[in-house]
Amino acid sequence: MIAAHGLTKIYGQKTAVDGITFTVEPGRVTGFLGPNGAGKSTTMRMILGLDRPSAGSVTVNGHRYADSPAPLREVGALLEARALHPGRSARDHLRWLAVSNAIPASRVDEVLDLVGLEAVAGQRVGKFSLGMGQRLGIAVALLGDPPVVVLDEPVNGLDPEGIRWVRTLARQLAAEGRTVFVSSHLMSEMALTADHLIVVGRGKVLADCSMTEFIADHAASFVRVRSPQRGEVADLLRRWGLDVAVHDEELRVQGLDAAAIGELVGKNGLLLHELTLVRSSLEDAFMTLTADSVEYSAHDMATTAGTAR
Amino acid sequence: MTMTPTSSTVVLDPTRNVPGVRAPGFPDTLHAEWIKFWTVRSTFWATAMLFVLGAGLTTLVCALAAKDLASGAAGESPGSFLTWGMMIAQITAIVLGTLVATSEYGTGMIRATLAATPRRGSVLAAKAIVVSSTLFVVGTVTAFAGYFAGNWFLDREGVGLALSDEGVLRSLFGSGLYMAGLGLFAAALGLLVRHTAAVLSAVLGLVFVVGQMAWLLPGTWGDWVAKVMPGNAGSGVGTAVSFNPNLLGPWTGFAVFAGEVALLLVVALLVFRRRDA
Repeated sequence: MIAAHGLTKIYGQKTAVDGITFTVEPGRVTGFLGPNGAGKSTTMRMILGLDRPSAGSVTVNGHRYADSPAPLREVGALLEARALHPGRSARDHLRWLAVSNAIPASRVDEVLDLVGLEAVAGQRVGKFSLGMGQRLGIAVALLGDPPVVVLDEPVNGLDPEGIRWVRTLARQLAAEGRTVFVSSHLMSEMALTADHLIVVGRGKVLADCSMTEFIADHAASFVRVRSPQRGEVADLLRRWGLDVAVHDEELRVQGLDAAAIGELVGKNGLLLHELTLVRSSLEDAFMTLTADSVEYSAHDMATTAGTAR
Repeated sequence: MTMTPTSSTVVLDPTRNVPGVRAPGFPDTLHAEWIKFWTVRSTFWATAMLFVLGAGLTTLVCALAAKDLASGAAGESPGSFLTWGMMIAQITAIVLGTLVATSEYGTGMIRATLAATPRRGSVLAAKAIVVSSTLFVVGTVTAFAGYFAGNWFLDREGVGLALSDEGVLRSLFGSGLYMAGLGLFAAALGLLVRHTAAVLSAVLGLVFVVGQMAWLLPGTWGDWVAKVMPGNAGSGVGTAVSFNPNLLGPWTGFAVFAGEVALLLVVALLVFRRRDA
């Protein structure tokens, strides 16, 4: 279990993590979702005791990471795949890590096999592709067979087959009862992997709920209805107990599918100009939720040109 | 991709170990640093260069200078030449010490290191032991090799020195000590500054340029500043007879140098323990 309480990190003038509180429970995959610059990596570095919190605290299994007698056997982490020396071989990298935490040497070959790098274990990691580096990072995370696994953007640079492998792996680790904490800036990836979701933006927790709740709350679909007799149509639909919202020229209707709405309106002799099912994707829901908190947003060309003039 | 999980049940115990292993301690941290040190090519090349430059240049210079030393035309003592190559070889000791610290920051390795061993004092101690013991052994072996080869040429001209002559044995082991101290000095500065090029320029500049320029400072205070510059204070222990008569005594100088190294290590430790990785 990972527990953060009022966790804060300030770099100079900039607050990277702003008093966040959350718990990551064992036995499920918890997704840590947020746009780039939301404070995900900083939070993960604080979990591992690499960065010192400006305020608040974070514990792993009830104590600070640094107080673990053998941290790699308690928490396995993939921080940045390139946190390694390019001149050292994959096996040597795992070997020194194993030795540092008194992990049996036999475990090195086990994890190399597990991530599919046994054939290139003797090669210098500088020659590795991004995907191979990521696999080595995952091997490092699993080296100590840890009950807590922290993966920062694990699918970065992986091919589709690799992405599916990471997804399966994360789910399997959680099924074994481990605590699995996976960060990503891709909602679509999280939707397939995570059971629970912590959404952050600009260093604050925006949502902390199960994936099912998140979908129900944020990814609702509606039927867009346009009609020259907007008022009558709205009254009719409301009488039938449907949820009708008026947005400019259109009605957004929830509670009945498009076909049924069309029949209902037609039977009552009213005119329809448009009848469309609008399905809000999870990605859209995530965008909406974090819209105000995106750190580096692309500006509209026209706006930029306007200010430049 | 097939998955072969190693355990089907996980006990969520904070002190849980992989079956059959014990809790790690400082010897494990030391062993891990030793593996890290010797599994990159730069270590092999730097130690090889130390030997080639140290022993090779001593031999070459002794061979070339033997006649002039014998005739007195050189105006120097043969004892000054027996560890001549070490003056140049110290560059490689500085490189090795620097890389032990800065390569971790340049590559992001430091995060892996500190995640594996959060006790930062232990990490620094382990690095210091690995780099200083290696440099002491390689430096001493190099000095002995240079002595035996170089002295062969001096002996032919009748100006060779025996191991039992004053200062000879001390200068050979002292060369190893000086190399170890320089490596530590560079490693400590490396931990503070974290950029390879900056640290190399600073230490090489301090030892080879600033140390020499300091002799030009006026007055008694200038003389003392020059005497206690790290390269000037520490190198005396590595020569049987120094070229520079103004240096502190070999052991006095080395004590000053060791104090400077220790001070820098303490500062590095304090900063290293507080700083974000």
